Amino acid sequence: MPITAREKWDWLSLTYDLMTWGEDRRQRDKKRRLFAKVRGRTLLVAVGTGNDLKYLPADCNLIAIDISPRMIERARTKARRAAVNIRLVLMDAQRMAFADQTFDTVLTVCTFCSVPDPVQGLQEVYRVLKPGGQLLMFEHVRSRISPLAFFLDFMTFITRKFGPDLNRDTIGNVLQAGFRVQREENVYLDIVKTIEALK
Amino acid sequence: MNGLSNKSADPRECLSDSSQEIPPEPLYFRLGDYVAGAVTGVLTALAVRLIVGPQWDMVVAMLVGMGVGMLVHMTLLLLFIPLLGTFEVMMPLAMIGMYGGMLFGMRDSMQQAYVPMSTALEVGALFGLLVVFGIRWWDRQLRGVVFVRPEEGPGFP
Repeated sequence: MPITAREKWDWLSLTYDLMTWGEDRRQRDKKRRLFAKVRGRTLLVAVGTGNDLKYLPADCNLIAIDISPRMIERARTKARRAAVNIRLVLMDAQRMAFADQTFDTVLTVCTFCSVPDPVQGLQEVYRVLKPGGQLLMFEHVRSRISPLAFFLDFMTFITRKFGPDLNRDTIGNVLQAGFRVQREENVYLDIVKTIEALK
Repeated sequence: MNGLSNKSADPRECLSDSSQEIPPEPLYFRLGDYVAGAVTGVLTALAVRLIVGPQWDMVVAMLVGMGVGMLVHMTLLLLFIPLLGTFEVMMPLAMIGMYGGMLFGMRDSMQQAYVPMSTALEVGALFGLLVVFGIRWWDRQLRGVVFVRPEEGPGFP
């Protein structure tokens, strides 16, 4: 029987910090640069164990959601250490309880590789953003280079059982959800990217 | 939403490029990438050498070599990903395991191209180093801005 997204990420919370130790150090400057663009009332979709909270500007005003209670629990500890005004909420990105047009910024970090229906999730993000609000994403996507794309497709058969998909067309999904992509930047090859879009 | 202030200016002004410079990659990661590549190349060459013999059909040897290389590199991912990062490890190691395994399997099945074990391992290490060098070079070519929409509409000067 396939496990739910919540169960999957509850289990992954046990090893998440260990498995992302190197990546966290490798990407931190790039994340900091993206996070510096956060403005106004901000939603962080899929906070995970809270590894990225330390890269947020100190004056950031944030609500962070995650589908996994164990992830939220771990994030709570890190939120206390981070000097940001943050509220953590257990919530599914595909069915958010926020009113329409609530946020100025929505931030995602390796989120839409894992949301079961990424377009539905992005449509929810679109709904809760104010008109002209910004979507800032730090995501990994399917490469457009065939030998790399082949491998990402192959690995996704394995990784989706216990973690994220590696072959999502996230830019296509962002466009499909109605956003206007303003900026796309490669962070590693053409796989890890920052994407900036407007409602 | 209690306790949240709404201090946003026009969000579109935030989409302009940040002037923050990205510092150069620490030596730990640069060296680590090459060590991971060399280790994967050596272990792939070793595993293929232990399985494939000079009497094997070349096509079968290549397919077995590819399978062995993938098993080797996927095992090593568990060791290197926590230390060096996910995709920075996954992509070069996949190329080394998959394509290196095929090449080593082909070589080891050929009577005339058969080399001593020490040479096979040295070639494995060299192959790993070259793949890492190539992917790091490729990354430098691809890194950076892909697309910026021309500024438009109210809110932009």
